[in-house]
Formats: sequence, structure tokens, C-alpha cells
Amino acid sequence: MCGIVGLHLKDDGLGGRLGELLAGMLAQVRERGPDSAGVGVYGPVRTIGAERGSAGPTPGGLGVAPQTDATGLTVLKGVGDPVALAEEFGLAGMSGHQAVGHTRMATESAVTTEGSHPFSPRPGLCLVHNGSFANHATVRRALEAEGVVFETDNDSEVAARFVGHRLDLGDDLEKALRLVCDVFDGFYTLLVTTDSEFAVVRDAVACKPAIIAETDRWVAMVSEYRALVGLPGFENARVFEPGPEEVHLWKR
Amino acid sequence: MEALTLTGEVREINRALRALPDGAAATVADPRGRHNLAVGLDAEVKVTIDGPAGYYIGGLGKKADITVNGPVGWGVGENLMSGRVHVKGDASQSAAATARGGLVVVDGNASLRAAISLKGATLAVGGSVGAYCGFMAQAGTILVGGDAGDGLGDSLYEAVVYVAGRIASLGTDARIEELTETDVKTVRDLVKTCGFDHIDPENVTKVASARTLYHFDTQNHDAY
Repeated sequence: MCGIVGLHLKDDGLGGRLGELLAGMLAQVRERGPDSAGVGVYGPVRTIGAERGSAGPTPGGLGVAPQTDATGLTVLKGVGDPVALAEEFGLAGMSGHQAVGHTRMATESAVTTEGSHPFSPRPGLCLVHNGSFANHATVRRALEAEGVVFETDNDSEVAARFVGHRLDLGDDLEKALRLVCDVFDGFYTLLVTTDSEFAVVRDAVACKPAIIAETDRWVAMVSEYRALVGLPGFENARVFEPGPEEVHLWKR
Repeated sequence: MEALTLTGEVREINRALRALPDGAAATVADPRGRHNLAVGLDAEVKVTIDGPAGYYIGGLGKKADITVNGPVGWGVGENLMSGRVHVKGDASQSAAATARGGLVVVDGNASLRAAISLKGATLAVGGSVGAYCGFMAQAGTILVGGDAGDGLGDSLYEAVVYVAGRIASLGTDARIEELTETDVKTVRDLVKTCGFDHIDPENVTKVASARTLYHFDTQNHDAY
């Protein structure tokens, strides 16, 4: 399982409610991932007060104190119940223009704060994953040979570092995600964001859920429909399921 | 009999629905995309789910007539035994999966793997279906009013698929067959039952099994 939620605002008038709306969405995918959870919020540079035990929520699994990166991306992760964690992060009070959230049911590596999603291997880049990669060790070795450094044994980190590496090499996000489809074998629904982009891609058999809803004011991507129903103006949203190996991308 | 209106927790709603006698009616109000509503019913009752619903709506049921005024999530009518589930919207993946009897009607589109492993029921989709529709379907009928995605009818057994629109590609061991008078009658009856006036029963494409993969044969290894 695992649950994904993401919200990309087109209307900055909703910016003050971003965290509150994402918290509501995250609560609806709580059962999909009771092990751990994390969020990535794109907004103003902020100081994070929330700490969780000695490990603390860490930005991008980098193992340092929570902080906002240069692009305004704040990543907060922790182990435990997603709704309690969201409260601890102070998610509902956070503002910004885009946010992603993940609830994890671990399959490929240990339940730790570092192994929680989102993975942010590069300023502004966030990746959340529902599924499992079959060939992540092979891709990891290839990336390591090119000098990419990993911090966990997690398969999703490999996808995040792969995308980050492609962006470093000059590919745009859409190209990088098409390469994910070429290179990775396994099950995946991925929500990948940068400070200006919001993109969704699924594997060739699309066996992990994904629903996208769009209005004039926002784009949302979720694992389950019920995570959408609390969004303002959802009654008139265009709702669809992205097809296998289609890259859906929005840009501010 | 006046229809009962139900709200609250899924388990409470389902308990109340299962307690209804033959001929009763009930409405589930404000479902908000919740899962497992109206599963496992076993009486001639009319249930209206008044809004968008989640996974496995009406699954495992017998005899009941269920209408959803909105879209549904995965596995609507999964393993249905008899009765009807009518979705007045789109359906997500695996609609009518493994259903043994009864009728699942989707007025809108159905996503991937519709009628996967169908075992005797009928799935009628007014719009289009995604990839892998009818995968390993063993018995029953699938009607698609719009287009079908890639891999239609892959590894079909004895289920038959009728498609009014275009077929992106056929799956392994699926083939197009001549439409017989019996087929036309089957489609005409189904179109009438579902109110799918946009489908011309004489102008659909029939897809059935070529029956080359019934038994494993090493010569067919490349086809698997």
C-alpha cells in the first residue's frame, strides 16, 4: 500500500490554507500507510519548531535539523501514525503554493525517519512513491558508479536520486520521468515535484492507484478519491485517472 | 414502503442494509467516496448510494439492485453473484472483477482491467474502458459502448466482449469473430436493459478467445 496526496495551487488566494487542506487529505490515506509519514511543503523560508524525539523530522532524510531549503521546500518526516505526525509537524498551520504528503506501509526497507517519504535529493525536488521497484539495486549501482551518494537502503530513494541526477545532467522533469519508465522495473505511482512543477507518472500496468482532480484554482493528486472530497470547489473538478506510463505535469 | 436514509459509519450502514427485507428500499446519503458500501447484500432490496463511492461497492452481493449517483473506486461489483449494480458515473479499475452473476452497468468510463477474471456476470460500460479489459475472463459478457484500451481480452477463456468503438489492441489469444444473430440479440437486449441508445447492436466488434492458450504448451512459451 502507501498513500500519496499532493496539492498544487494555481490560485495563491488559497496559499494560507495549503497546510490545512493537505492535512485533511493526508488523514484520508492514513490507513494506507500507518508506519510513518512525511510532507514536503513549498512556501516561504521558515523556521521549524517541531522536533520528534532524538531523530527529529529531517529534511530529505539528510539527517540534520529540520530546515527549509533555498527554494522554500520544507520536508518533515517521522515514524508513527500519520495524523499524529501531521499535528506534530504543525502542518495545518503551514502556508505555501504546493505540498505533497505520504503515508508509508514499508515493504522494501526498514521503518525509519530516513526511510520515510518524501525523498528530496536536490533543492526543490520531492518524490513520493507508492509501489516497489524490482531492479532498484541495479539502478543504484549504476548511479553510484556515476558518483551519486545514497543515504538509505530504500528503493524509492533510488528513484528520487535517479530523477535528481537526470535534472543535474540537464534533462527537464518530463524527460527524467520518461526515463524512469525506461529504466525502472516494478510497481509505481510517483508524484514528483519541484518548486514550480507537479508531475505524476505510473508504471506500465498502473496497478497502484492514482486519481487527479483539477479546477481553475488547484491540481490535486491522491491515492484515493475520498482524499479529494474536502477540497474547495471539488464538486466542479475534472477528475481522472492517469494512464500507464503517461507523464502528467503542471507548471506554475 | 418509504425508503430509509442512512448515514454514519460504513459498518453501521451495511448492517442496516443487510437487515432490510425483500422489497425494501434505502438511500445511503453523503457517501463521500467511502469504501465497501452495500457489500454482501442478500435480499431483493433497492439501494441508492447518493454520491461518489469508494472501493468494492456492492461486491459479493446477491439479488440487490444498487444504484450509485456518482463515480466509484476500484472493484465495483467484485464477485457479484446476482442482482445489479448501476454506476451513474465513471468506475475505477477492476470493475466487476471475478463477478459470477448479475449485471454491473457503468454509464461513464471504466478504467483498467474491467471484468478481469469475469466468471459469468455481465459488465456493460456506456463509455470507454482502459487497458487489459477482460483479462483471463472465464465466462460472461462484456459490452463496451466506447473504445477499448490496449490488450483487450488478453488470455480470454469463454467470456465474450462486444465493443462499439475502436480497439487500441487485442491481447494475447484474443481474436475478432463474426457477429452472429445470437450475438446481435444479446447486445440488443443488453442495450435496452441499460438504456445505452448510442450503441448499434449490429455494429459492434466481437472479441473472443482463439483458444490456443487453454493448455500450457512449451511451443507457446513466447506468448505468455
